[in-house]
Amino acid sequence: MAVILLPSLLAREAGGEGRFEIDAPTVRDALRELPVRDLLFDERGDLRPLVNVYVNSVQADDLEAPLEPETEIRLVAAVAGG
Amino acid sequence: MGAAVLVGTRKGLFVLTSDETRRSWSVEGPHLTGWEVFHAMRDPRTGAVHAATNNWVYGATAHRSGDLGETWERAEGIGLPEESGLTWEKSWHVEPGHADEPETLWLGGTPGALFRSGDGGSSWEPVQSVIEHPTREKWNPGAGGLCCHSIQVDPSDPQRLYIAISAAGAFRSDDGGESWAPKNTGVAADFFPDDNFPEVGQCVHKLLVHPAKPERLWQQNHCGVYRSDDRGDTWERLEGNGLPSGFGFPIALDPADPDAAFVVPEEGAENRVTPDGRLGVYRTRDGGASWELLENGLPQQAWQSVMREGMSFDRLDPVGIYLGTQSGSVWVSPDAGGEWIEAAAYLPTVLSVEAAEWP
Repeated sequence: MAVILLPSLLAREAGGEGRFEIDAPTVRDALRELPVRDLLFDERGDLRPLVNVYVNSVQADDLEAPLEPETEIRLVAAVAGG
Repeated sequence: MGAAVLVGTRKGLFVLTSDETRRSWSVEGPHLTGWEVFHAMRDPRTGAVHAATNNWVYGATAHRSGDLGETWERAEGIGLPEESGLTWEKSWHVEPGHADEPETLWLGGTPGALFRSGDGGSSWEPVQSVIEHPTREKWNPGAGGLCCHSIQVDPSDPQRLYIAISAAGAFRSDDGGESWAPKNTGVAADFFPDDNFPEVGQCVHKLLVHPAKPERLWQQNHCGVYRSDDRGDTWERLEGNGLPSGFGFPIALDPADPDAAFVVPEEGAENRVTPDGRLGVYRTRDGGASWELLENGLPQQAWQSVMREGMSFDRLDPVGIYLGTQSGSVWVSPDAGGEWIEAAAYLPTVLSVEAAEWP
């Protein structure tokens, strides 16, 4: 079971929920369960380049990594924009 | 029923409301915070508000509100088919379908793509005939990307549609979007070194169908202002006779007068700012044969830019004209351009304005 924490814009798009508990085989699978998956991944299934995924406070470079119990996944938008 | 103008900005959606005199305005918002609202409209058939929304991190989508902006639903999973090799980049314009098809809507954007919704905007399907158009390899992106920014439905025939893409040109469908014919005869592409009148590749900035005389089309182009009286088969360039420049982005019409149009010229492609150091709207009432400057109430020391979706008109009498500037002002003329009132100032950069009826 992983806990996924969303930034405020994604939480609004998820119906006001900023915290999800999801059981899934991999980090990617867990993210694909979110109601905002279309905002995280494009239509090819590729993670959008300015979406950063932190697993237990470490930036994830492999979304196929198995999801360990008690994992915290935090989604962070890249520092960008204007 | 009151008047409203939906103002899409770089930082969300604002709604300006007034009574039908359109002289005193209230500002509500922002809605959709965090989203760039390239265009928003209130569907006159259903009352729902639809917005073409983009975020630099989370991509392009569309939002819908059935309660005048209190709550919003996002359309999920808008995307282009894998075999196209294209990905959906920006939502530019959302347009109601024909009055006889109240659940049909159209969404255009980058990269030169059109979507159709058959369920009131919950889901969107890409229009294959645009993705696979035989001239696509000749299309080139303008500064705003290869954007499908104009979508018009002929009010007299639900099968007849128009789209315009920068820089691909104008296209007409007579079969409900199954096929599209280029409609650029007589429209210049001065930026090409050899053929200045190609079949496609024109840089249309905005295209409109006159609501009461649908065989008449108008377009503001990178290379001039044009009118067509034969559903886009041929176009006449309307420069000179009072118009200081053929370059500009938006255009507005008067539903009660097919010979009237309103434009906001800019100095030119290399200096995209209103000419003569002031904000001026130019109006024709003779089909583009002559143009007059409208400036009563507009700032006389100003260097402004109005984007392609930054102008709109209402269905009241006399017609109201609306324009929004990149510097965050919304100007309203309640009398067809005779007088201008600053309805809002200090908004974020205005990307679009759209007049609407409001309860």
